[in-house]
Amino acid sequence: MVLFSGFAFGQEATKLEGEFKIGPAIILIILLLTFILVGVFNRAKDTKTYWAAGRKISPVGAGMAIASNWMSAASFLGMAAVMYGAGYHGLAYVVGWTGGYVLLLILMAGQIRRYGKYTAADFIGDRYYSQGLRGFGAGLAIFISFSYCVGQFAGIGLMFKWILGIDFAWAVIIGASVVLAYTLISGMLGVTKNMQIQYVIIIISFIIPLFILSYKFGYFYWLPQVGYGSVISDIVNGIAPGAGISAMGHDFAILPSPEFAMPWDPATGQTAFQWLAICFSLMIGTAGLPHVIQRFYVVPRAKDARWSVVWGLFFICILYWSAPVYSAFGKVLSSNPEVGKLAKDAIVVYTAQLGDLYPLVIGFLAAGAVSAAFSTVSGLLVAGASAFSHDLYYNVINPEASEKTQMMMARLGTILMAAGVAIIALLNLGLIAQLVAVAFSLAGCTIFPLFLLGIWWSGSNRTGAWAGLIAGSSVTLVALVYFIAGKFGVTLPFQEFINYYLNAWYFAWLGAPLAIIANIIGSKLSKNKTPIEIKKFLAEKVHNA
Amino acid sequence: MTTQDQYNINFFKPLTEHAKGNKKLISSLAIIWAVAVFGFHFLLIFVTTPTAEQTLDEFNSVWPQVVEDTSAATEMKQTFAKSMLAVLGKNIAVKDNHKSVLKESLSWIVFDMQPDSIKPLFTKEVNDETIIQAAATIGLKAEGFDKIMKDLLPTSLTKVENPTLNAESISSLPPIMKLYLTHNQSFLTDFNFLGFPFHYWYTAQFLLILFVVLCLIYAISIDKLNTKFEIVEET
Repeated sequence: MVLFSGFAFGQEATKLEGEFKIGPAIILIILLLTFILVGVFNRAKDTKTYWAAGRKISPVGAGMAIASNWMSAASFLGMAAVMYGAGYHGLAYVVGWTGGYVLLLILMAGQIRRYGKYTAADFIGDRYYSQGLRGFGAGLAIFISFSYCVGQFAGIGLMFKWILGIDFAWAVIIGASVVLAYTLISGMLGVTKNMQIQYVIIIISFIIPLFILSYKFGYFYWLPQVGYGSVISDIVNGIAPGAGISAMGHDFAILPSPEFAMPWDPATGQTAFQWLAICFSLMIGTAGLPHVIQRFYVVPRAKDARWSVVWGLFFICILYWSAPVYSAFGKVLSSNPEVGKLAKDAIVVYTAQLGDLYPLVIGFLAAGAVSAAFSTVSGLLVAGASAFSHDLYYNVINPEASEKTQMMMARLGTILMAAGVAIIALLNLGLIAQLVAVAFSLAGCTIFPLFLLGIWWSGSNRTGAWAGLIAGSSVTLVALVYFIAGKFGVTLPFQEFINYYLNAWYFAWLGAPLAIIANIIGSKLSKNKTPIEIKKFLAEKVHNA
Repeated sequence: MTTQDQYNINFFKPLTEHAKGNKKLISSLAIIWAVAVFGFHFLLIFVTTPTAEQTLDEFNSVWPQVVEDTSAATEMKQTFAKSMLAVLGKNIAVKDNHKSVLKESLSWIVFDMQPDSIKPLFTKEVNDETIIQAAATIGLKAEGFDKIMKDLLPTSLTKVENPTLNAESISSLPPIMKLYLTHNQSFLTDFNFLGFPFHYWYTAQFLLILFVVLCLIYAISIDKLNTKFEIVEET
């Protein structure tokens, strides 16, 4: 009975969501219980375990953790959505969100591990010998983690709504409680162990439907990630109805639609400049996100840090190679206007439904989406909470704090973060969910230059760091003001110009180079040179000189 | 060299042989990375030319007779109607305000082709009868792309209120058609590889493979470099 209960999908898109789906619900509940149990069995005993998993994770395991920490609702649901709506333009996200790892690896990963700190703000405060910068760095880390987190909750809400047929508010409350419970119980170790399990679930649930879709519609199904190439070409040239293949009462057919695959197609309203700017900004943003950088502190050695990125990127790419397949099938399956203009955010799940896949497979897919959002949220909560308790409380406010007090503050920070995010997600302010766009470019404009110059040029000093931060933050502020004004329908001078060149998604193309230049000029002009102990530490510990 | 200088870290001025090897490795990988991603896309920008779909040429060829004077033959009007449907078939890619212009123009030309006795049918709500009649006048067959166009009719036809196309639609229609029927194409997009248009394969698959390979090369090379210079990384 359970197996067939979700079977009665209607023919119309309007029925794709709505009612309670028992099969998917059971899968989801089993997954959530597993996450909590894993958290309980891997409980954190001290702050070192809480923040850095006791530095005991293997490179492959750390790679899986990097991948599931990284693959969020945006990767699982959002990327296919952009490609579904804007075709080739969406590939800027695919390339941007993977290419950044190359930079991260060759420029930073091993060095960050050898520097041996717990958090991004820790590095900034130490390297630039400034409590002020440490505080600023912690503030940035909290802001970035926070806005990124809110975006994830939107994804969690969407999937809980689909599975349980409950409203958004309850979906968010349930989701927040579960994530919070196991993050609190376990800290980073439980989180890291969970991330490995979550990776397996994410990737299997994402890929299974692709084999079925490719098989069903007569494409090369042994490797759908290659087989969908013919789907793309067919979309460009059009697919004539025939061979009796149909999906939910409509032919598997489409009129010629080159706009889906051609670069910066006029129909999408996106230009080549925007493609390049998004790609670049996402790349350096990836390499500057606190919760990403923080993953390198959990491996035992610098060598492991490097290999964990190689594995991590490979694991990430498996999903990123697959995501366009959903958008391609989704494009054909929803080509008839009677199916309706689908809610793009859920195109992955809708494509599976339109392809008339077995309901439990779709349920597993939705549960995979929840796992993706959960793994990212837990990483973000740890990153945000550690910025709060370790960088702000322990290092700035109360250096005398005992181990026990620090643990308490870490847990308090996690609760505050989760509660704050849940409240804001409950208010369902579209604006704040969109701040995740700003998070990438903000990280690229501020944290990335500090790490890049901090590691590779001992001449970069406190003055330079402030100059760079101010330059990067100013560009961010301009972009943010115009972004918010645009949302409230206020027109500012040069609105169109700024919206195009300093868009919330990609202002780092300008901000990051400016911040680097400002940092260099500031450092050169300043009389307050980098202290010899820091240079010595950098040369001996970080660069093995 | 003073004690101060021996600790100066600068990527571009490596002090040790190990650092020199490191610099060479990182620079090479970074250059390959940048050329592969940005170089390719600059090339793509450079070589692409806006290319019209066949439908746009057909639309442009019948436009003067169909809209500007009323001398058009039935085949021309049918071509016009089909070109509206070809764009409406792009469905999710088409903006709502553009859709309504296309629907209005389609409904108008279908109305225009009807004999006077049937015209009143099209001034009422769209029903099965009008759809069958419209498919017949446009000359849509029951197979191939015609069948898709036929399936589009129920959502594309609207009630006709004016026997003439309004001025606003006349001025906005040609730019709308051009917008949706012109694409940036070149030999890079026309060439087919593993079933993909080449540029799509390059970006969606090859670049990701390249990223993983670059990371692999780096991790292996650094391990070798460290062994060569007998550098032991502390735990």
